[in-house]
Amino acid sequence: MKFTRRNFLAWAGISAVGAVGCDVFGSEGQELRLQSPVMQPEDLVKGRDNWYATLCRQCPTSEGVLVRVMEGRAKKVQGNPMYPVNWGKQSARCDAGLQALYHPERLAGPMRRTGARGSGEFAPTTWQQGLDTLSAQLGERGNGLLLVTEPIRAHQALISSRFANAFGGRHLGFEALDQTTYRAAVKDVYGQDLLPDFDLAHANFLLSFGADFLSTWVSPTRWSVGYGDFRQGEGRTQRGTHVQVEPRFSMTAASADKWVPIKPGIEGYLALSLAHVIISENLQAVSTDVNALTGGQGAAALANFSPDQVGPMLELPAAMLKGHSPADWIRELARDFAGHTPALAIGGDSAAAHSNGLFNLEAIYALNYLVGSVGEVGGVRFNPGSPIADLPAASTVGTMADWTSVAGDIREGRTRLLMVHSADPVYGLPASVGFGDALNRDDLFIVSFSPFMNETTAMADLILPDRIYLEDWGSDIPEPAPGYQVLGIQQPVVNPLSDLDPRSFVDVLLSTAQELDRDGDLPWGSLQQALRETSDALFALNRGSVEATSAGEFWNSLLRQGGWWDERETGPSASAPNGLYNQIANRAAQPIFSGEGMYLMPFSHNTLLDGRNTHLPWAQAAPDPITTITWQSWVEINQRQMEEMGFREGDIVQVRSSQGSITAPVYPNPAMRPDVVGVPLGQGRRHGPEYAIVGDDRESSNVLSILASSQVEGTGALAWASNRVQVSSTGESIRIVKFEGEFTSREIGNQIDNNPSEEIIKTTSPGASH
Amino acid sequence: MVTNRIDHKWGMVVDLDKCTGCQACVVACQAENNLPINTKDFFLQKRAYEWIRIERYWEGEYPNVKARFIPVLCQHCENAPCEPVCPVYATYRNDDGLNVQIYNRCVGTRYCINNCPYQVRFFNFWQPNWPERLKNQLNPDVTIRTRGITEKCTFCVQRLRRAELQVERVSGERLNDEKLKAGNYAPACTQACPTNALMFGDQNDAESKIRPYFDDVNTFDIHHEEERTTRGYRLLEEINTRPSIIYLKKVDQYPLNEDEDHV
Repeated sequence: MKFTRRNFLAWAGISAVGAVGCDVFGSEGQELRLQSPVMQPEDLVKGRDNWYATLCRQCPTSEGVLVRVMEGRAKKVQGNPMYPVNWGKQSARCDAGLQALYHPERLAGPMRRTGARGSGEFAPTTWQQGLDTLSAQLGERGNGLLLVTEPIRAHQALISSRFANAFGGRHLGFEALDQTTYRAAVKDVYGQDLLPDFDLAHANFLLSFGADFLSTWVSPTRWSVGYGDFRQGEGRTQRGTHVQVEPRFSMTAASADKWVPIKPGIEGYLALSLAHVIISENLQAVSTDVNALTGGQGAAALANFSPDQVGPMLELPAAMLKGHSPADWIRELARDFAGHTPALAIGGDSAAAHSNGLFNLEAIYALNYLVGSVGEVGGVRFNPGSPIADLPAASTVGTMADWTSVAGDIREGRTRLLMVHSADPVYGLPASVGFGDALNRDDLFIVSFSPFMNETTAMADLILPDRIYLEDWGSDIPEPAPGYQVLGIQQPVVNPLSDLDPRSFVDVLLSTAQELDRDGDLPWGSLQQALRETSDALFALNRGSVEATSAGEFWNSLLRQGGWWDERETGPSASAPNGLYNQIANRAAQPIFSGEGMYLMPFSHNTLLDGRNTHLPWAQAAPDPITTITWQSWVEINQRQMEEMGFREGDIVQVRSSQGSITAPVYPNPAMRPDVVGVPLGQGRRHGPEYAIVGDDRESSNVLSILASSQVEGTGALAWASNRVQVSSTGESIRIVKFEGEFTSREIGNQIDNNPSEEIIKTTSPGASH
Repeated sequence: MVTNRIDHKWGMVVDLDKCTGCQACVVACQAENNLPINTKDFFLQKRAYEWIRIERYWEGEYPNVKARFIPVLCQHCENAPCEPVCPVYATYRNDDGLNVQIYNRCVGTRYCINNCPYQVRFFNFWQPNWPERLKNQLNPDVTIRTRGITEKCTFCVQRLRRAELQVERVSGERLNDEKLKAGNYAPACTQACPTNALMFGDQNDAESKIRPYFDDVNTFDIHHEEERTTRGYRLLEEINTRPSIIYLKKVDQYPLNEDEDHV
């Protein structure tokens, strides 16, 4: 039979009838499973993996991580479930650490400068020559030594500071947005030298001023773990309420139940006014001694901060107040805060970064005394010191006052040798400090220990690349610790690849001190040896999480657990200084701004932080949570305000401060005070790996460079939120590199016939929650 | 193939009241599953690879404005719209309740991508490319997808297989919540999530933490949503794809459309 289309259809019809017919005649049907008989590669388990406990160094928190290693290669970083800081969880930054380890543009070995300073021209040299040069320079100018590192604690801090001291020099930590003011407020209000822990998991009301604690502030992964329980913890009867008071809508504000767009720098006044209401309405905790707190004056100590006086200063939008007066709004907030104990007030970031930042933070943290949450469950917990004498439990970080004097020392030839490790002050300090320019001196010798090119390393005379933390030893006393003693241990999980020749920074310090006979205080041959000595000392303490019968067994268990901790060795308690509120009220001051125009709010990027992760493609490609922008700088302005100013999304605008200007595309943010401009940190590098320098000046700029070097009164820290700027069009426009679509995503369910089934994110009221 | 195997039906519960939009799950997934590096161009072409992504929605107007986050990943549907349209049976629902993609059957018609209402399938328009040294990080348990085929979330099946090997074939015990947690076997996103907004477990296991949510949502379908005793709902439930992922509603303490007195 000829096979034609007609025949084919006929046969197909007969076959179909036949198939049905067979079933009718009762032949047993067989289930046909549409499933692959093929084993997929993912179905086959191959190879054995090893997991090593160590510490992550992608942000200053140093979380405990486990690293999966197969055949000598690190494959995955994830939280160490035993480590009491982050409890098995990690941030996006921790994962990205693997890309630092296997970065295509890691510096392979020592290099010396061949071109003019800052030209970025270097030639490879040997370790022998590099170390000889370092020794010679130290011998010649050691007394003019400045050793700059990131904020470090425990062994790295001990060895770095002793090394600098051995030569008559100085060790200073650098962080672009430092915690100096926060630390000073904790000291003044609670009398503590170490940063406290917050028991978010058991709090019922969280009042946060400016602190972006779920994204970047102090210990974000730890706060996030607690925050999950704060919302829907097992066994909780009441869901916690979170009010976020800040001019810029951060990722943390997005999670809050209420966002309060307060005028920048007035946070302290609001906090004192809340205290005024709590005291005058007698809402304080039973245990609170108001007389002691106010020097016997009661609410009269805060007479200048009544809601009626402070209300108008906050400049709250009328639509938010819904017909209430701002004074009533303050009273209502105070009653809510004091009525939902355990209640917790925290403050940081922009609230601390005004000229009156110390006043703001002191006023905020003093609130915890009034609601009785100091040292209590659901409140502020304090930390004990180091388990081993000498090991620093807090990092030493230079303030703006320090850096201004350092720049002066360099210019005047008092500092003649600069050693820089894992810090980038040329990028991170405002241009107005003149640090980068000061380095252009012929009689200054700069040694960088960075494994990557960056702005400071580009100015160096000698580069001695350090190992990445996954290849190196180390230790950390977390700050804040979880309310008890912890010593985290960092161990090498892989060896450096054969085409790379890095050396451990701390080991270089130790061997150099030994060679120059300055090792009196540094009696260790290597960092590993120092750690082992500490391990033996911990074993001798005979307490804590590591159980062992011998020092050797203790060391192995210590490495396996990723550290040592003793839950019974808790922190001290704090009692309020007499007349605390009188002191704070005396300190009250309005914020002082540099320049004119809109308030500039720089902020730490969720994954790039202050720019330290800009060379990692995963960190660059992780969308900003609010704007979904990647690989770019941007300028956030209130959507309506932007329309009034005549800008459209992607227009390149110039942001001009009293010190200079940057350009970046503008992004319309529906949640922004109309008089505030938000610009993330991180981009705008001109030296570094390809991933770090994507984009030209129009779309990749460093907002730190245009800040005035104004200081927080009383601490000398950089008041990075105290700038006002003019925003103007450049006439150019580009497409913003973002994850979201061309139209701003809005929930449509409520707008289409109020049809809840169309909603993507369904909501319910707290009463109905289960 | 495997005799006496324990029947699992993997599922996930996402608590929107805990999600802070921090992107930890997104990067953890990319690190675990050998996703191509999302370059600037990928974003500009709207072709970024994120097996799990965070969507951000705005509600309201300044100053009464809210941003809400939702993690969206393959929903591993029981009635998966992607499956019947594949001409080569490259995608199917396996015995574990996973919607899987057989890379070496896929011929790249992209019908599945077109038919997925959740937009969680990704086409490899290019051969994935890493700088030589970064290849050291690639996970040997996960296939690198070549140009011309479709890829998607696997619920980290490679981790489940390792867990089955370690737990079930050694001791014969059931791989349950506790053993997944003890062995660090949860999918990379769930393991990473700092607020524990993601919960992973076995719908067939009566003891599993996720089970009550599935029971509730299965008992009361979309037409009886108000009778549910949990906050559970499924994404785009009205199209009846029966996902293996249940979202728990965001608790809105101060809804925007209410006029009552509050701060």
